[in-house]
Amino acid sequence: MEESYPIRVSQIGLVSVVDVSIGAIIQFGDRAEGSPKLNALAVQRAVDHTKAGSVYFESYPIFDRPLPKLIDPVADAGEDVRIKRVNHCPRINVGCISVVGVGSTSSLLAGNAMRTIAESRIKHIRQYEKTLIPIT
Amino acid sequence: MVNFTVHNCGLTVGNIEILGVSAASMLQIGDSDYVTLYSMFDTPPESVIVGPIAPLPTPEGEEEAVGESPMAG
Repeated sequence: MEESYPIRVSQIGLVSVVDVSIGAIIQFGDRAEGSPKLNALAVQRAVDHTKAGSVYFESYPIFDRPLPKLIDPVADAGEDVRIKRVNHCPRINVGCISVVGVGSTSSLLAGNAMRTIAESRIKHIRQYEKTLIPIT
Repeated sequence: MVNFTVHNCGLTVGNIEILGVSAASMLQIGDSDYVTLYSMFDTPPESVIVGPIAPLPTPEGEEEAVGESPMAG
């Protein structure tokens, strides 16, 4: 049996990121658990925001929708798959990583993680001037 | 019960070029035990745009289309 290392270490030559926004994570190193969440209303308006008033998350059911559930008692009991990992090499090598944008609860992680639960809900709406819509 | 054995041999990558990582996605250089990613996105259909639309001709055989109101006229 070949030698096995308990964990692997990531080695990266260069990381180039232009923009990190709305709930995104860039992490160098290990983490136990990460659970970023984002609720966003993307509003395109014909009228200026100062005149058109506020928008509310409560008005849109996408923000209260329950998350889909996996119903699998075998998996819940941990009796479906037993995973065994054998690391023959203690390193992951990457030369250069270039990313233009990281956003909306996404993550760029150089390292090991135990559990990641990311959730992003985005509602995109357009609001027109009342006079533009012909009401019959 | 499935027994699943993974052998991680040497892993070396030259360059990674990415335009965007978005909406609950993940780029990881390393190992993970559990990953759960949820994304909900709702956008209005383009048909609600009020204003001039692209001058597309009526589709061929439009008069014979079943279950659709005629577009011409």
